[in-house]
Amino acid sequence: MDFPSILHTTLKDKHLSEVSPSTLRIRGQMSRRLFAMHMDKQFTARRGKVSRRIILAGPSHAATAISGIWLTIAIAFFPSSAACQAPLLNPVASSQDFAALISNAGAARDRGDRSLAIQLYSQALELNPAWPDGWWFLGTLQYGADQYEPARNSLTHYIELAPPAGPALALRGLCEFEIGRFAESLQDIEQGINHGAANQPRNAEIILYHQALDLTSLGRFEEAIGKYTVLAKQGIVNPEFALAVGLAGMHMPLLPRDVNPANAELIASIGQASIAIMRGETTAAHDAFQSLFTRYPRQQNMHYLFGYLLLSSDPDSAVVEFKRELLVNPQSAVAHAMAAWTLEIQGDFVTALPDAKQAVAEEPSLTLGQLVYGRALVETGDPRAGLSHLESVLQSDSGNLEAHMTLAKALSKLGRSEDARKERLLCLSISDQGVSLRATQ
Amino acid sequence: MQLSRKLAVILMLLAGLSSSAQPKPKPVTCTSCHQAQAFSQTTSQMAHALQLPGSNEVLAAHPKLTFRKGNYSYSIDTHDGKSLYSVTDGTKTISLPVDWAMGAQAQTFVLEQNGQMLESLVSFYPLINGLGITTGDERIDPKTLDEAIGRPVSKEEAKTCFNCHATHAVFDHALDLTTMKPGVTCERCHTDADAHLMAILADAKTIPTPAKLDQLSTEDMSNFCGQCHRTWETAVRSHWRGPADVRFQPYRLANSRCYNGADARISCIACHDPHGKITRDTASYDPKCLACHSLAAVTAAPDSTTAPHPKICPVAKSNCASCHMPKVALPNGLMNLTDHQIRVVHPNEPYPD
Repeated sequence: MDFPSILHTTLKDKHLSEVSPSTLRIRGQMSRRLFAMHMDKQFTARRGKVSRRIILAGPSHAATAISGIWLTIAIAFFPSSAACQAPLLNPVASSQDFAALISNAGAARDRGDRSLAIQLYSQALELNPAWPDGWWFLGTLQYGADQYEPARNSLTHYIELAPPAGPALALRGLCEFEIGRFAESLQDIEQGINHGAANQPRNAEIILYHQALDLTSLGRFEEAIGKYTVLAKQGIVNPEFALAVGLAGMHMPLLPRDVNPANAELIASIGQASIAIMRGETTAAHDAFQSLFTRYPRQQNMHYLFGYLLLSSDPDSAVVEFKRELLVNPQSAVAHAMAAWTLEIQGDFVTALPDAKQAVAEEPSLTLGQLVYGRALVETGDPRAGLSHLESVLQSDSGNLEAHMTLAKALSKLGRSEDARKERLLCLSISDQGVSLRATQ
Repeated sequence: MQLSRKLAVILMLLAGLSSSAQPKPKPVTCTSCHQAQAFSQTTSQMAHALQLPGSNEVLAAHPKLTFRKGNYSYSIDTHDGKSLYSVTDGTKTISLPVDWAMGAQAQTFVLEQNGQMLESLVSFYPLINGLGITTGDERIDPKTLDEAIGRPVSKEEAKTCFNCHATHAVFDHALDLTTMKPGVTCERCHTDADAHLMAILADAKTIPTPAKLDQLSTEDMSNFCGQCHRTWETAVRSHWRGPADVRFQPYRLANSRCYNGADARISCIACHDPHGKITRDTASYDPKCLACHSLAAVTAAPDSTTAPHPKICPVAKSNCASCHMPKVALPNGLMNLTDHQIRVVHPNEPYPD
């Protein structure tokens, strides 16, 4: 993903500190270059403090990030420093070469000579491949130069040398996103978030946005919409964001840059309408969706999307929209499943049962379909039949809380109280993990 | 279908009104045929879960209630059956009538301002015999007088509130206060009672019989009562933790070691009669505990590989609940509630989540 060319020329090489937060929010908040620079700035600031403290107090590889003088002091006084542990062929000559290289590399980096900085950091790392900070600087520079595969490799070195490295994991995830390795990107971004990469609000926006793009590319559209909802509530506005939301909403596993121009207006309009709901602009959202329904009466997934977005605030209307989707697209397993799910959440399992059954018939591999059918069976008096569907869910998603909760209920109804108790304890554990995970995000 | 149900309710109400004028009144209300249950149910707390102006004994007994939080002073003044909820910052005052009071003893008030329902920021608590911050609203820090009145309630939330505190409050999935009957009455639980009564009114040849709730399994009963008292799933799904979740009895009960969804001895109605006043005498529950935890019960129980044999208490054979179902104070200290997570309680142990 790249940001529009006009922003590319105006913001591309500006240091983040030169860009006001409002400019970022409105125009270029998704810039990966800005993100890299921001992360780098934070890293340098943090490392600087750490290094100075550590130079006075104890050993650290971080000392080498500051300057040749600090490096010399660090090497002289703290022989266990990672920098000193590097396998140098000629210790005296090489340490001088190394110090000079990182000094020159830092200077090149500071004056914006990215290619020279990359070259010098690469040479320094040939002399001392156990220098973690060098890999970080090299990785961020390569990322900024669109060298995503080398950047990924550099960050991998850094992550191995300085775990858990939340920001580096997230940045590696962004590299993987750029080279189309969406599953790995998503995994790295999520691990990065778990290790604090998104604790800073501006980083959080960029990371969350790419996480949502990854989810969309992997076909996990509803999860993507969840992430986009967080971003929409934060007030993000730009055409690319609307396209991204529209793509997830229409269940199209594409990136905004891959949208066929012929479809762009429709997808962007759907995205805008969705963003209005996400922000709680109910009247505007309803008007926008009604206009879309009038203009595109046979368009699949629109009623489904509208229903999905209404689910938390107006579940009754959500069911109506899922049913309307089925008029346009009778084979939509996900619309059947969501209609059933919404009814089940309201405790109406009898009404939910036919839709749940049909969802499984249309698409047996749909996890949600198996879940709603399993639950409907359990709740309408056939817990034994429900077990197989719930187990099917857990085969593909072993941590699915809803499936475990329903399984506990089924086992309880069958009188298997000890098994039910184990399931309940497992549910509480999964729920607790959810709480602690949310607390870190 | 929903419309016909609504018509049925209106017809029932009209028939109930006109029946007193008939020489031989037809059995058009639940009370006509089910007098014992209908009369005793009126003594239950559930029957008084929603109170209207003029019939609110709590407010009638406390004609002047006051409370202060930060810069805001609250008062509820009750005269001639009408209550006025006021909040002032010293310069301006907003006063609204108390339209609905949720709760039989502890009460939270539902107000209406410009068509928007509000949950009062202060509630009445018998434990302190006065007002305190509404449970769950402790973190609200009002910045304006309007915010100080109470928390805006969405339509969906209002529907949920009234659907539990009243009968016939929801028609066609929407809140409808025109046919609402305050409190939990017969038809709220016996959901097929409408068709049953309509058939009687119409002198139909076949009268459908409402489902008997005592035939529900323990698991289903727990979920049925949990519609309002919160199910185990609801509590887990919502990540509710800490002593405040002691309010959710079905959730706590299902966490008990002795809970078995297929054993009627641990069902909600094994201990509680929904048609009667709640029993506060701890010892009166002993037979319920001893139905499992006694030598006779253990001896009579079939061998089972799916459920452990219940243990027999080595300490006492009476007042079981006083030890095994301790009272837990809500974090705000305004209510003490019985913990339905039945367990062996160890001294100084933290509240088990």
